[in-house]
Amino acid sequence: MTESASILDVWVYLSGSPLFALFITLGAYQLGLLAYQRSGHSPLANPVAIAVLLVAGVIQALDMPYATYFTGAQFVHFLLGSATVALAVPIYRGLGAIRGRALPLLLSLSAGGAVSIVSALGIAWWLGIERKLALPMLAKSVTAPIAMGIADRVGASPTLTAVYAVITGVLGSILARWVLDWLGMKSAWQRGFAIGVGAHGIGTSRAFGISAECGAYASLAMGAHGVLGAFLIPALYRLAP
Amino acid sequence: MIAGLVQILLFQSLGELISKALLPTLPGPVIGLALLLAWLMLRRSVPPTLALVADGFSRYLGLLFVPAAVGVVGYLPELRAHGLALLAVLLVSVAATIAASAWVLKLLSRPEDKP
Repeated sequence: MTESASILDVWVYLSGSPLFALFITLGAYQLGLLAYQRSGHSPLANPVAIAVLLVAGVIQALDMPYATYFTGAQFVHFLLGSATVALAVPIYRGLGAIRGRALPLLLSLSAGGAVSIVSALGIAWWLGIERKLALPMLAKSVTAPIAMGIADRVGASPTLTAVYAVITGVLGSILARWVLDWLGMKSAWQRGFAIGVGAHGIGTSRAFGISAECGAYASLAMGAHGVLGAFLIPALYRLAP
Repeated sequence: MIAGLVQILLFQSLGELISKALLPTLPGPVIGLALLLAWLMLRRSVPPTLALVADGFSRYLGLLFVPAAVGVVGYLPELRAHGLALLAVLLVSVAATIAASAWVLKLLSRPEDKP
């Protein structure tokens, strides 16, 4: 057996087993985390975005079909459901932050959630973006694991939902400061909550970098938006014409 | 740690069962989340092994949606055609979302809540 043939054999074995997909997924995410730390936690160096671009580049370069990659990577994907259930713990810890502010927080979340959906679908319709690309925007401000569950229930692409959610989180984390300064928002809890409503987990980790209070309210907003979104978005979608 | 994982899988399975049998519009894991949250509120504390597993999941949550997001390779022609428009929609929409929720909070806050 020649050397090149044996390398080919090894490659055929590796690319057919889950090992390769798991390796590039975790490896790319690790590189993303390193870039995020090196950049001083810049939202532009988002580890998920970097990992997705790297993995997509590798499988395109190798001509590996997405279905083959996913057969291996599904072991990571499977954990999404368990991770969603586990979100109950940070939500429970955040409940203390409500402290008699339940009504303003609930109304703020409802307004943010409604504006998120109406503005995205409205502008997309106005720009003539086709339904297949616009519908996954329904849950873009909801934390990605829950957003993908919602997408599944309304017949939108979970892939595009995850991509839009990550882009929304990155853009929201960058824009939040200017938007909130422009509105003259001063208190940390109000700023944190608004960031969490719009920019879910990515905004929340940014908010924790500002102050613990800001982060606690962002985390509460993210959890509440996730749970409320999961209840309301598929229900409203059924009612919509 | 295994005890924490078992609790999460238990609530996840309950959620999936309820989703299949009673509430098909709700994703099973979200029902599991709601049940686990209710259970934590009843017992008024988080068991340490559950906290360990949950914190691990939160820390690396982003990793878990990489496989699904890589599916974006299947949308490259559409994204090439509409990428800028989609980016513009997401940008305006997230700014409007943050502004709306902040504005409502500002409007409704009692004076003692203001700094």
